[in-house]
Amino acid sequence: MPDLSILGQHLLNGVLIGCAYALIAIGLTMIFGVMNIANFAHGEFYMMGGFAAFYLVSLLKLNYFIALPMAVVLVVILAIVIQQVVFKRLRDAPVMTTTLVTIGLSLLLEHLALLLWGPQPQAVPTPFPTRPFSFFGIYTTPLYLFSMAVTAALIVVGHVLIQRTRMGKAMRATFQNREAAALVGVRIDRVYLYAFTFGAALAAAAGAVLGGFIPVEPTMGGIATLKAFVVVILGGMGSFVGAIVGGLLLGLAEALGAGYFSTGWKDAIGFVAVILLLLFRPDGLFKRA
Amino acid sequence: MLDSKPYPILIGVVLAGLLMVPLAVRDDYYLHLFILSAIFVVVALGLNLIVGYVGQLSLAHAAFFALGAYVSALLFFRLKWSMWIGLPAAALVTGATAFALGWVILRVRGHRFVIITVAFAEIMKLVATNWVDLTRGFMGLPGVQLPVLYVPGIGAVDISSKERFYYVVLAAAVFSFYICYRLVRSSVGRAFVLVRENEVLAESLGISAFRYCMIAFVVGAALAGAAGALYGHYVGFVSPDLFNFSYITIMLIMVILGGKGTLIGPVLGAVIFTFLPELLREASHYRMVIFATILIVATLFMPRGIIFPLVEHLVPERWRKNRDHAS
Repeated sequence: MPDLSILGQHLLNGVLIGCAYALIAIGLTMIFGVMNIANFAHGEFYMMGGFAAFYLVSLLKLNYFIALPMAVVLVVILAIVIQQVVFKRLRDAPVMTTTLVTIGLSLLLEHLALLLWGPQPQAVPTPFPTRPFSFFGIYTTPLYLFSMAVTAALIVVGHVLIQRTRMGKAMRATFQNREAAALVGVRIDRVYLYAFTFGAALAAAAGAVLGGFIPVEPTMGGIATLKAFVVVILGGMGSFVGAIVGGLLLGLAEALGAGYFSTGWKDAIGFVAVILLLLFRPDGLFKRA
Repeated sequence: MLDSKPYPILIGVVLAGLLMVPLAVRDDYYLHLFILSAIFVVVALGLNLIVGYVGQLSLAHAAFFALGAYVSALLFFRLKWSMWIGLPAAALVTGATAFALGWVILRVRGHRFVIITVAFAEIMKLVATNWVDLTRGFMGLPGVQLPVLYVPGIGAVDISSKERFYYVVLAAAVFSFYICYRLVRSSVGRAFVLVRENEVLAESLGISAFRYCMIAFVVGAALAGAAGALYGHYVGFVSPDLFNFSYITIMLIMVILGGKGTLIGPVLGAVIFTFLPELLREASHYRMVIFATILIVATLFMPRGIIFPLVEHLVPERWRKNRDHAS
């Protein structure tokens, strides 16, 4: 009989990591759904969000709560440039081309980060007390709770934007049928730009917030991309809600797998699931065939 | 020449030149680069079959390379079997693994195929890292030695010096090139190209895309495995780092910038992109930035790669008959 308070601990960690996975994966699944591109460079936005927050707080001595949104803005500016220079040219390109270009882009951003900021892991300084406290036998820190609240809030905001705004509607229309959307006056270029930058912003926010307790380093983007791909496959490629549920599912599975099974093998859960799902349920766990 | 008719004189001259390398290059470091080049020629030729000829973007190729290195290194480390058994065993195991993997994944295309190959590579890395009883995990397998070559009439020859090992890898590279040449120039090669260019048409003509993708996938993986075995024994140390994503990126750069879907392009790509990083060692921080930029630009604007079109351009017109077959 596993200890219940430890179970609670694992669940808490799982939900936090799951929220972060979801936040990163939302952008990936949107770019996939709207532009039909598997963006291997997506995790680099997460990495750059972390670095931006780190430098804004530690070098420019900005207030933590101002630095977080500013970090996101900086990454969004870069994302707009990348979209206009690179991704615009990938419209209707074959899978081979889009994948090779995004792999190249991922390599480029990672090594630029290495060049500019060095390989040493950094931590975003936060104003929160680092002392853990406990409730109902579960230990946590204020930073953990803050991160969880922010990521969860951003997921809800993202969901509302997609469901309730005109641009969100245009994105969903483009995802369903690009030609038909264009026919009724949806500006596809605009949709691409918004979907791409919106996704980048969410990933950057995840990086900035998690940078408080997950080491910020140039190589973190590649791992994030892979995890986000797992989430996207779990939830169904192009599905916003699927990315949220998939993210939480993967976070919980990994936390429980690491807690009760093995830390080393926990990463395998997602990858095995990906292979099985892509072969037998390519639309994700939740869609009926 | 290039990818069409074999020119005996040219081939003779090139081979003679390659055989002379250890005599001309006295510097150990440059010889080391020649050896690495030859190993990566084998890898690039294999990847080219999959990416260039049947047109499937497999990101599992570096994992096959690492798997081959592990198979041969483990046979040596655990059982003291020499590379002469390890090398074919590595090719066999990676080929069989590719067959099993291909059996399930070559039925899917596009993004799904790409992502499954990534997931497979990551799982292989986790196995190498976590199956500590077998692979020693992060500690890796040290002291993987080169074997002794028994030549009939001469007896045992030590090949552990760079001058001698160069001939082993050169033989491997030439043999791999010959295999790929025969494959690509046969009806199988024409089927490859048709599957790449128009799968529906190929199927309608009774050419099974699955079957030809499988041939390319298995042969390509076996070549990667054999190259991995050579690499492991040459470097003497095999660790999970071999599974890092950077390996597949550099392999793709060799094939794509060399000129995918040609034979000589990836060969030159492998040689150039083994030498270039080392020669740019002074600017090591910049070199990956430069390579990544070249990869993006070349993929977007130069679908035929850089090196092959360049070489083609330098070759006199009269040598270029039959070149329609090339691309």
